[in-house]
Amino acid sequence: MSSVNPEILQRALLREKAARKAAERILEDKSRELYLLTQQLKEANEKLQSGLTEKTTELQGVFDNLVDAYVLMDLGGNIIKLNDSAKELFGYDVPKESINVVKLIHKEEFNYAMSSFNELIIKGSFSDYKARVYTKNKGIRWVHINASIIRNGTTQPIGAQGIVKDITDQRAIEEQNKKLLNDLAKSNEELGEYAHVVSHDLKSPLRSINALVNWLREDYKNVLGKSGLENISLIELTLEKMEHLINGILNYSSLSNEVVLKNEDVDINGTIKDIENTIFIPSHIKIYVLQTLPIIKGDKTRLQQLFQNIITNAVSYIDKEKGRIEISFKEKETHYVFQIMDNGVGIEEEYFGKIFKIFQSLGNNKNSTGIGLSIVKKIVEIYKGEIWLESQPKVGTSFFFSLKKVIL
Amino acid sequence: MKGIVFTEFLELVESKFGLETVDTIINDSDLSSKGIYTAIGTYDFAEMLSLLTHLSTHTNISIDDLLLVYGEHFFDVLAASYPQLIDKYEDPIELLSSIENHIHVEVRKIYPEAELPTFEIISKSKTSLIMMYKSSRAMYNFGLGLMNKTFSHYNAKATILLDKIKEDGTEVKFSITKN
Ligand code: HEM
Repeated sequence: MSSVNPEILQRALLREKAARKAAERILEDKSRELYLLTQQLKEANEKLQSGLTEKTTELQGVFDNLVDAYVLMDLGGNIIKLNDSAKELFGYDVPKESINVVKLIHKEEFNYAMSSFNELIIKGSFSDYKARVYTKNKGIRWVHINASIIRNGTTQPIGAQGIVKDITDQRAIEEQNKKLLNDLAKSNEELGEYAHVVSHDLKSPLRSINALVNWLREDYKNVLGKSGLENISLIELTLEKMEHLINGILNYSSLSNEVVLKNEDVDINGTIKDIENTIFIPSHIKIYVLQTLPIIKGDKTRLQQLFQNIITNAVSYIDKEKGRIEISFKEKETHYVFQIMDNGVGIEEEYFGKIFKIFQSLGNNKNSTGIGLSIVKKIVEIYKGEIWLESQPKVGTSFFFSLKKVIL
Repeated sequence: MKGIVFTEFLELVESKFGLETVDTIINDSDLSSKGIYTAIGTYDFAEMLSLLTHLSTHTNISIDDLLLVYGEHFFDVLAASYPQLIDKYEDPIELLSSIENHIHVEVRKIYPEAELPTFEIISKSKTSLIMMYKSSRAMYNFGLGLMNKTFSHYNAKATILLDKIKEDGTEVKFSITKN
């Protein structure tokens, strides 16, 4: 070292000095850069923070404006938070006032409330809890509650939250509707009974008249003469028709009583056979069942009545030398659709709507009282179906009706 | 080029050849930095080239040999400054094959202005590695020095063959076999 030229040493020293200054300048620049970066980071952080607060306030707004009442409580039932709707409903200003949910439970529903609370703890939630609560200013209210447990992270339960709906008014309306329906059913029943009684009462004088007319004919055969006897016959025929009418009304009025409807398997093939054995079918008329008919759930008597009335109707309006009645059906997704076709006199289209109305009889047929088809319509309606027809005057008529597969 | 490459270089020159040699090569090279380097600065690579050329004339040692020695010295500098980067690897072949995808990637994060070569792996096994060095600076022998020291760092030995793909040394194939 000592042999080194001082000039060289001096130059080296100057270089080192300059390098040190350069290094200091670079570091100085770097720290300024760092400072600026820190500043920017801080700003970004602040922005994020305020964004977060904004979101939180936004959420708070949603929470406050929730239409339904929201209740937050700890596991001991102490209410921690109520939104505006909940404050309005229960009347407590939490957290200024402290209140435990146990105090809100109606005394008669304490057990129900406790078992629901157990469900909440075990399953983590309950829904459709409907019961009464005590409120501070609004008396006893009916509420609907869905609740769930709030967990710390994923495991530890720390509280519970519930959405509470005030269903007091809704319940009142429902109750009122139920009562109205009840009343309606009752008055319907009464009306049915009335019709029943009236028809019965009408029947006995009818029988008396019948008996009296009979005696008249027997006792005054000679006095009456030919035309007198003919008039007596006409009276008897009219009486017969009158009896049909009254029977019809009796039948119709007992239909509405849905309570007595049975729900059994009814083999329609058997039903048709029974009908053939029950009603009078002249030998020139034949019934053709085109396919095996289904077994359907329903009331056997009513279903027989349904088919029987249509078939009877068809029989009475057949005017051809060879009468045909064809029965078939189609299976649809929810319904069976039956078709009963005849080659009778047919019906003009303008009467299509009319024939299902009570006491509407088209021709002057002694077997037709005008009640048969209204009974048919009523039965179809009981089975949530529809009835309609296609007809060509002088050629024939097809009645179609649908029956819902399962009546719930 | 990073200042640390210059300061370490001049320090090595000083310890091997004395301060006078340092003074001479700085004076002989026409440097815009005037030979004033700090480890944290960044300087033109041409200055390194100029310093190397003058050192080579002055000492009669080839530039290749100078760079080899310098590379060996520089590994110690790196190992002292970035032990955590090197300690990640348990094997020299693993370390060398990670220069491109890990080590120099990290270097670029610390010094965005660093001028680094590329080492493309052609084939690799447990005991051998063939890589293609590419750099406009043609410091392949600096790389060879670094590699030699990488092996001795792990108490291992290797045979390393260089194959110049381009005459000027900007593209060199390294065939490394661990002994
Ligand atoms: C911890 C490990 C390493 C670090 C931190 C590191 C860092 C650096 C730095 C800072 C430079 C200078 C860049 C500039 O001047 O702009 C450099 C250049 C270089 N490094 Fe690495 N390096 C490492 C390992 C290696 C290894 C193991 C090799 C093996 C071949 C290598 C090959 C090179 C070469 C050849 C150059 C010269 C530049 C060129 O040829 O273009 N480095 N390295």
